[in-house]
Amino acid sequence: MVTRARSGRSTGSTAPVKTVIGPPARRPSLALGELWRYRSICAVLVRRSLMVRYRQTVVGAAWAMIQPLLMMVVFTIFFGILARIQSEGLPYAVFVMIGLTIWQVIGKVLNEASLSVVANGGLVKKIYFPRAYFPIASALGSLVDLAWGALALAALLVIYQIVPGWGLILVPVLVAIALAAVLGISMWLAALNVTYRDVAQLLPFITQVWMFTTPILYPSTLIPTEFLPLYWLNPMVLVVDGMRWAIAGTTAPPLQEWIQGIAVAAFLLGFGYAFFRQREPQFSDTV
Amino acid sequence: MTVAQAPPAVRVLGLGKRYQIGAPPGGSTVYERIGSALGQRSRAPSDPHPTIWALKDVSFDVPRGEVLGILGRNGSGKSTLMKILARITAPTEGTVEAYGRVGALLEVGTGFHPELTGRENIALSGAILGMSREDIDAVQDRIIDFSEIGRFLDTPVKYYSSGMFTRLAFSVSIYLDAEILLIDEVLAVGDAAFQVKCQERIREAVGEGRTVLFISHSMAAVTSLCDSAIVLDQGVLRFAGATSDAVDLYTQQILGM
Repeated sequence: MVTRARSGRSTGSTAPVKTVIGPPARRPSLALGELWRYRSICAVLVRRSLMVRYRQTVVGAAWAMIQPLLMMVVFTIFFGILARIQSEGLPYAVFVMIGLTIWQVIGKVLNEASLSVVANGGLVKKIYFPRAYFPIASALGSLVDLAWGALALAALLVIYQIVPGWGLILVPVLVAIALAAVLGISMWLAALNVTYRDVAQLLPFITQVWMFTTPILYPSTLIPTEFLPLYWLNPMVLVVDGMRWAIAGTTAPPLQEWIQGIAVAAFLLGFGYAFFRQREPQFSDTV
Repeated sequence: MTVAQAPPAVRVLGLGKRYQIGAPPGGSTVYERIGSALGQRSRAPSDPHPTIWALKDVSFDVPRGEVLGILGRNGSGKSTLMKILARITAPTEGTVEAYGRVGALLEVGTGFHPELTGRENIALSGAILGMSREDIDAVQDRIIDFSEIGRFLDTPVKYYSSGMFTRLAFSVSIYLDAEILLIDEVLAVGDAAFQVKCQERIREAVGEGRTVLFISHSMAAVTSLCDSAIVLDQGVLRFAGATSDAVDLYTQQILGM
């Protein structure tokens, strides 16, 4: 456990900051103050991953646009045209593209953030800062990809002449809910992965299950009414339903779906971070 | 050791660090848990995960503006001590009080990314080491100058020779803005001329009122740089005091044992 007599990084040559280092507390604090103090690290980690991500690729960051578009084409052919899945009155291409745009980002964060502590083992063993910044930086860095994906989606909306309504202003809220949920789960998995590398092996399976329990390829109206309260425990159901409503004017998610989605996302983030904090002191010795 | 009139820069009190051998500290594997749940004892019966004290009951003070040498053979606990001071690993018992920001230089090139250029890496690792944008800009020219990488500044570091890489990494770290500097064996980089330059830079840092904790196997470097020294042996503090006495004791340990 670490306490500081004076916060901040004032460089003054007067009374220096006192830091006390001791054994880890049995119940570690959330250390949100320290998280704030080290926030510049977050910007560095985000910048580093963005600078590196598309180096030595020909089309660069445009990959973030091309990937969801390619998947949209494949899914539209197989699920829209061949399997004729319902799409709540929307062209299937638009229907699936809205779900894919957000899912591509969330799935990527899940995979990157869950492995982030182990992947940065070199830094963990050499430099101190709150380790939560590894998954947090993955989540924030993904917003750039989301912006590119949104551009591709916007192009599709123009082609199909769909004009979003006022609900569009709620899209940032929905993105925040999605990021909170994925960050919470990723912190849990990232902390576990330090000790049990089984997590890395399970991850593709977890990603698939999460994707299929989210109404990306099919509408949530396919779920029998009696199972909906259970189905809504997945916050991504609210996110995708909400996005389709906000962008393309499908039926608005009912109040209970909102409440459940937000509550579960907040729960995942809170407990994910608390669990991460509890395991954090062991990372450098175990990773 | 020294009777401290002014408060010390670093005060270490009863510090201990215990490691488990043969198992990750997070716990046993699922198989072992299932095994033990079934009452099965597949491994060593009484103590499946023996522990070892890498440090035990270590106490000392470092006065402000001094260089403390830390001597000891491999496995004596030097690096564990540094890791605790740098907050990379937590102690099992005891405390450290540090008066001032601690900058750790435990390994050169930490945080360097091969795809980024020398200039980009200076900015990024400066920030990772806790410097602000303005701090880095203020010392960037001196870093570049010190590292002698010249025209390769805008080349990705993956194309650097290993000598260029370590020189740049060391230069970044040695200019980091901290009141207490932890330096672990990094003086072993570069050629003799560069090492002399590094020692001069450390003296300069001390002249600016910083405190330095310094691990080295080079008795020459320790003797010329350190105001005082401690000797660690199997995790226990054997000696704390004058550098020359510490060097003598350490030399005896190596030769006599």
